Amino acid sequence: MELQDTYYNKSEYVETASGNKVSRQTVLCGSQNIVLHGKVIVQSDAIIRGDLANVKTGRFCIISKGSVLRPPFKKFSKGVAFFPLQMGDHVFVGENTVVNAAVVGSYVYIGKNVVIGRRCVLKDCCMIEDNSVLPAETVVPSFARYSGSPARLITTLPEATPDLMTEFTKSYYQHFLPTASV
Amino acid sequence: MAYLIQPDYVQYFCTCGQIKPITNLYFCRHCLKVRCGFCICHEVDSHYCANCLENMPSSEARLKKNRCSSCFDCPSCFHTLSTRATYAPARQDPAAGDAKVENKQPKKMYYLSCFNCRWTSRDVGIPDQPVASGGWPERTNPFANRFGQLLEYFKAIAQQEKQDKLDKERKKYAIRGKYITLTDKTGLTGAMARTTAGLPSSESSSSAIANFVPSQAKEEVEELPEDYHTKEVNLKLITTMPQRLASPEWQAQLVSRLQPIARPLSVKRSQRCRRCDHNLTKPEYNPGSIKFKIELLAYYHVPEVKIISFETIKPGCTTELLLKLTNPTAHEMQISIIQPDEVPEVEEKEEPKSIEKSLEKSLNLEKDTSWRQVIERKPLLPTTIKLHKPELSFTLAQRDDAAEYDDDSHHETNDIILWRKSNKLALRLKVTTDEEAKVGSPAVAILALQYSYRNTVPPTANSPQTRDHVLYTTVAIHLGTVTQ
Repeated sequence: MELQDTYYNKSEYVETASGNKVSRQTVLCGSQNIVLHGKVIVQSDAIIRGDLANVKTGRFCIISKGSVLRPPFKKFSKGVAFFPLQMGDHVFVGENTVVNAAVVGSYVYIGKNVVIGRRCVLKDCCMIEDNSVLPAETVVPSFARYSGSPARLITTLPEATPDLMTEFTKSYYQHFLPTASV
Repeated sequence: MAYLIQPDYVQYFCTCGQIKPITNLYFCRHCLKVRCGFCICHEVDSHYCANCLENMPSSEARLKKNRCSSCFDCPSCFHTLSTRATYAPARQDPAAGDAKVENKQPKKMYYLSCFNCRWTSRDVGIPDQPVASGGWPERTNPFANRFGQLLEYFKAIAQQEKQDKLDKERKKYAIRGKYITLTDKTGLTGAMARTTAGLPSSESSSSAIANFVPSQAKEEVEELPEDYHTKEVNLKLITTMPQRLASPEWQAQLVSRLQPIARPLSVKRSQRCRRCDHNLTKPEYNPGSIKFKIELLAYYHVPEVKIISFETIKPGCTTELLLKLTNPTAHEMQISIIQPDEVPEVEEKEEPKSIEKSLEKSLNLEKDTSWRQVIERKPLLPTTIKLHKPELSFTLAQRDDAAEYDDDSHHETNDIILWRKSNKLALRLKVTTDEEAKVGSPAVAILALQYSYRNTVPPTANSPQTRDHVLYTTVAIHLGTVTQ
């Protein structure tokens, strides 16, 4: 099935020179620490906590409505330290999802209502299904599909996942259109 | 990716009759056939730990019982355990003087902890370790000795049976006496075959069989305690079935006896065509890599069909169906849509027996070759929905990654072809539903594609290949259910 067009209010979104589409109804704390590498969509009510540490995303990432990107912290004997959050290309983050991961690889699909615990490492090419909870410091290997609470490996992904994910995020970007009027 | 989050609207027919989405299919470019997970050979390429991404050669993996030596799973919730560090309080050693203790730096000690259920290795009394990874006490099974004996015994029996069979075969040949088998000629004896098979020599096997003591059932069994049926059970202290089965050697009954489970290894698999023995996929060795050395997927070789939109299916009605076709190959593709019963039957010829195989036979090392057979059959096709065949064959341009930046959609379009964009086009087809189609039954339209395919395998001397082929693929398109 082809993706259907999603329309947005043109006045609500800011489009940068590199093709990022960022909603005005988002909370971007510490915007000098946030790097969106181009053609990234950040939808309304998303929160990106750049004030804690650097947040970097690759190209063609989709941050859906109400999701939170928050750099993880680690407790040491002398207080806590925050670590940067890195995200690869072609990553989809579903609605109302909290991402506390240290690294999210490329071609990763994270469903809606998911909690990714502190300092998780999501390798390239993996998928977290809707309504899953990934406990802190989990490593999700490539081509794994995790689900449940605590999320566990349920099956593997097909070999063509990088291409499928590329096509998905690209066509999502192409079908993310401003409403014609207003 | 839509394939992973949506139901499978479009499914392809594998050569073996399975119906699967295109992402689960492979394409052997030597047989020019679509293959699926059921009709190919899966092989283990390499072992690795999914947590620490450490590679392990297969011999070492076998030695470690396919488990990682540094990563552990929680015995309670099966999540991965993390190592946590604490500063151990300087121990009060009665032998040493107080002044000495004060001089010592607090020592870093490590214990395992689960971030999901908060289980720690301290809960069950495992002492903290002075090193961050490894060094955890290894438990040996109380019956390890007996298991070893059993294993040895059965290995010996298997070997003896093999030896007997070999001797018998040799005798059969000797009676014929007309020609010398290769085994006699080259002095390739059973002993040699044993070493190649990795089995111990026959002397040790006979002794293992002779020394073996079979188990004996005991007459007297310890009685259950008096209060076994009356004592109240505290379920919080007793392990659950999954927890017991996670470590079958111990099967701890009490929560306080749970021990960390060494993490099972994951494997990278490669796939092989059963008919021609060529690799279909071969991953790169590095566990963190997602690249493939060989990747013959149907997704890269067979034209892809996607639904753009369809109307509700009603009995006796003709409705429109919009499809998107994509050419994933690097060559132009000539496609025409045909009825599924027009696909010609192809009979695969039995491949000539190679010299290698006859040699194997003479060595009496004949392998079981039944797995090589590939069953080919055609599934039953539902015929409630008929497709109106468009009298049209069209060319689909090759895949061009740069084309997405061009903005030219000024191609000739007509009633059937709605639009074209580089290697994609949209088709408008008409489907008619049977008058007698049951309301509520799934609506599935079947169509077949005839497409030209350019083989990119370099031709070899003994198999001169034509470059251009006409191939067929059958597609099932799910259009919801038949409604009134």
